[in-house]
Amino acid sequence: MSHTWMIAGGWLAAGLTIFIFSFLYKDNPFFKIAEHLYLGAGMGWWFQVYLYSIWIPKVADPLRAHQWAVLVPAVLGVSLVTQFFPKISWVSRYGFTFLMGYGAGLAIPTMLSTNFMSQIYGCIQPFTDVSHMTRLGMLNSLIVAVGTIAVLFYFFFSVENKGAVKKISNIGIYFLMAYFGTTFGNTVMARFSLLYGRFDELYSYSGANYFYATQVLLAGMVAYFLVHGLLAKKKPEGGAAN
Amino acid sequence: MLKKTLELLFNIDRRWLFLLLALSIFIPIVRPLGLPNKNISADVRHVYEKMNSLPPGSFILLSLDYDPSTRPELHPQAMALVRQAFERNLRVGVVTFIPGSTGLIDEVFSTLSKQYNKVYGKDYVIFPYEPNIVAVLTQMASNLYGIYDKDKYGNEAASLPVMKGITNYKDMGLVVDVTGTSSIDIWVQYAGDKYNVPLAAGVTAISQPSYGPYLQTGQLKGLIGGMKGAADYETLLNAPGKGTSGIDALNLAHILVVVLIVFSNLGLFLVKYL
Repeated sequence: MSHTWMIAGGWLAAGLTIFIFSFLYKDNPFFKIAEHLYLGAGMGWWFQVYLYSIWIPKVADPLRAHQWAVLVPAVLGVSLVTQFFPKISWVSRYGFTFLMGYGAGLAIPTMLSTNFMSQIYGCIQPFTDVSHMTRLGMLNSLIVAVGTIAVLFYFFFSVENKGAVKKISNIGIYFLMAYFGTTFGNTVMARFSLLYGRFDELYSYSGANYFYATQVLLAGMVAYFLVHGLLAKKKPEGGAAN
Repeated sequence: MLKKTLELLFNIDRRWLFLLLALSIFIPIVRPLGLPNKNISADVRHVYEKMNSLPPGSFILLSLDYDPSTRPELHPQAMALVRQAFERNLRVGVVTFIPGSTGLIDEVFSTLSKQYNKVYGKDYVIFPYEPNIVAVLTQMASNLYGIYDKDKYGNEAASLPVMKGITNYKDMGLVVDVTGTSSIDIWVQYAGDKYNVPLAAGVTAISQPSYGPYLQTGQLKGLIGGMKGAADYETLLNAPGKGTSGIDALNLAHILVVVLIVFSNLGLFLVKYL
């Protein structure tokens, strides 16, 4: 890639990032441009992915090589589209029937084994070898077992929630709260990581090799908001002051 | 007086908080503080040790399923994993089920292959994007070349030196899925559990708690979580990268959030009872 294109790419990336972040101050036409561009580019991107990574190599190329068997999944796939045409929408049932049968056949045994049996086993297994467990390991296994049972009690709706059942399900609520708290904390960390990623790139584009793209674009945005704010003050009836 | 000041503070324009947060993340980028990363997660250490336990020449399969939207967290993880694999002279195969990851995969290998003098086709191979992960994982269990007959550049995959002796999962020392999606569930279901493939993963911080059950049962050998996980891995490798430099910013931002939460709760308490 030529140097000029790298610089242009840097300006585009820095500009779109700043335009999107500018919404945190207030809605503006630059944000709208970036938002619409993102949606349009996303649609275009997925269209070319489906065309060049799926339709051409998986359907067109095999058909050119006279591998007619691909017509079966291709026709079943296309049949799903017929649901948009009421008169022939019944055709889509064949595609859905195949999807349901194939999906259920593959998923049910593996789901049962991986997420059901293995998890029950993981809960019980540590107690089969208590003599080799450390005290901390035993405590950990107990917490996992108590937590699992208590949370299951909370989600068991066929017994009235009172007495001992209520007490156990209340313990389950504390375990759930701990899980939600952990997840929320991790979500905050993940969002900050993403923000760090964008800022790190903005910093990369702020150098002389990119002709100070970040600073120039940021100054432009600030100037826009200042001018817009001044104009809005002069015409209070049309303004959208915060 | 205090009550009035506190009430005024609670009505502060939230954009000031945005600015404060932006500064807490931006300042360490411009002026790194070099805060140490002293708590290495046991789950990250397990991935590192598993990779280290493989004899040189072993084949590892990396499923790099992330795109630019999760790049800050997952790209440093992928870089660290490939760095360790090259240092240990492991053979590396790469697959992906996310079309947006192809450019990022190229970036990882164009940078690190030069640093470690690794040759494409001999030391590593990149397979093209494939849709329908379930079908691919099922096919790879019997014969990998049934789905990946050619590499990304159109070469016959089976004829490449890096693929010598590799037919299916049983020939692989380790599979690591670095992903911002739920593809780990599929890897565990259709490869790890079914064919006893040693499996580890790298995920975003958001999804990290969800995979605790797989760790407890040993269905995952280890887990790298978010930017902190990447920093842990870089610390273990003694090769600071983007994960480590991000820790400064994350530390400052987390301190800011903790201070704001404590201050707001104390403030509300005072406003209520003063």
